[in-house]
Amino acid sequence: MKKNKSLIFWFMLPTVLSLLIIYVYPVIRTVAMSFFKVESLTASLSKWEFNGIDNYIKIFGSNSFRVSMQNMLLIWIVGGLLTLALAMLFAVILTSGIRGKKFFRAAIYMPNIISAVALATMWVQYIFNFDYGLLNNVVELLGGEKVKWLGTDMKFWAMTISYVFGSVGYYMLIYISGIEGIPADLYEAATLDGASKATQFSKVTLPLMKGILKTSITFWSINAATFFLWSKMFAPIETEESTIVPVIYLYDIVFGGKGITQRDAGAGAAVGVVLTLIIIVIYGVMNLMLKDTDLEY
Amino acid sequence: MAKYHERINWKKEARLLPGYIIVILWCVFTAVMVFWVFGASLSTSREIFSGKVLEFATGFHWENYITAWQTQNVSVFFANSLLYATVSCAGVLLISAPSAYVLSRWNFTCSRTIRLGLLISMSVPAIMIIMPLYTLAVQWHLKGRILLIALYILMRVPYTTMYLLDFFSTLSRSYEEAAYLDGCPPAQTFWRIMLPLVQPAVVTVTIFNFLSVWNEFFMALIFTSDESMTPVGVGLLQIVNSMKYTGNYGGMFAAVMIVFLPTFLLYIFLSEKIISGVTGGGVKG
Repeated sequence: MKKNKSLIFWFMLPTVLSLLIIYVYPVIRTVAMSFFKVESLTASLSKWEFNGIDNYIKIFGSNSFRVSMQNMLLIWIVGGLLTLALAMLFAVILTSGIRGKKFFRAAIYMPNIISAVALATMWVQYIFNFDYGLLNNVVELLGGEKVKWLGTDMKFWAMTISYVFGSVGYYMLIYISGIEGIPADLYEAATLDGASKATQFSKVTLPLMKGILKTSITFWSINAATFFLWSKMFAPIETEESTIVPVIYLYDIVFGGKGITQRDAGAGAAVGVVLTLIIIVIYGVMNLMLKDTDLEY
Repeated sequence: MAKYHERINWKKEARLLPGYIIVILWCVFTAVMVFWVFGASLSTSREIFSGKVLEFATGFHWENYITAWQTQNVSVFFANSLLYATVSCAGVLLISAPSAYVLSRWNFTCSRTIRLGLLISMSVPAIMIIMPLYTLAVQWHLKGRILLIALYILMRVPYTTMYLLDFFSTLSRSYEEAAYLDGCPPAQTFWRIMLPLVQPAVVTVTIFNFLSVWNEFFMALIFTSDESMTPVGVGLLQIVNSMKYTGNYGGMFAAVMIVFLPTFLLYIFLSEKIISGVTGGGVKG
């Protein structure tokens, strides 16, 4: 087929322009801005003052930012372990030959489809509510005393648990497609050789799902680094130490939050760059640790 | 023989029992949550606080929905979200489909760079782009609904292009050869013949774009300056925040249901298509 240069040009132009306008230019400008003193986003370029790595020194010296990084780390590790383990558990159960697989799969994935704001509101206003919430009803039924799930000391875990609930379904779908991609005769051979279900899982399923595990960990890391919505829903009006995450910190210093007297867009850009670097490092480490060995099966 | 068969099955089901219990518990929890919120949306605030949500002692309070829809402005949020989602779904197809087709057919200068750029931009976090976009919007005096629609369209371009590209590359070139021999110009060949052939992929990718724009929150929070252009996510947050003053819990839960239902209903009818689309597109092991 002949190459038609004008067709290629006109068909590609809108996409290339979109990429340039919404990704290439903004990313370059954000990286540049992180090395300048910029108070307001609307300040013109002539008002930018180069200040080297001062923005980075400022954010790492800020107590709120350090707390937000700790929270993010906890969400990444604890939330990640919970989410990926539950997702794997559900994937194994649903591929073990139970009835109603399609229904269960659809039901467990459902929270990923609905508006996360609605889902978070259901958790905040019902499950964790002090007066009439589901958890406190269960606690009272068991003879315990009502718990302040949304009090300062429990709030972070309340947020993480509900976020895990909302995320499990997606990773479960990825794992199911991974498990279903493994040929059944491998398991038959393993059964004939006397391998138990647990051994089959650790010696057949997991090694053959290296690539999928890598993908899921990378996705989770991106989600943990850019965690925002659930934190906003659990502390909608004033940012709190218990739920602050880096993107909330960025939002507050760039667009103004309570208690922020001096906006600092340059520092906000530095937060963005730090988070992106974290994502890139995790991606690189994952590629090194879980090398695709290209197993033939 | 039949009996023998049955016994094996029961053994199998018994072995699977722990698995059944775990997934059933999870699903029951989900169902309880949704049903309770639905019940609360039909109750008075007093009933909610005294823990009598599913008794409906004073009847069904459908007026909660009217309050939410009219006085709490959910109708405005809802119309905005519908507008944003439908217009951006159409817009992104107009931009992405032709490029996906061209990328799947020919190698040309920069075609590898563009593919790589699309892939990378799919994982660029929103925080890296919103600040300069905010500046641009102010400089170019873009605001309101047009701005959000433009942003949603542009943001969905990489995913949509990559998704459609996979499907265009599975099409045989004999279609274009036949069209060429019949004297059909290449651009028309694309719109009339090739695009309709990937219709199933177009439907799937449009569902995902719709869901993603309907549920979008971060950009909406930053780029909407007043209530008249607020979509459902940010609108619901505002309703929850104003509850401290209104104390209308029934109305708030009604608003939650109104925001929850559209994507939920879409999911009930299209769950198979959506689920196969999640793992069929970008995700590769």
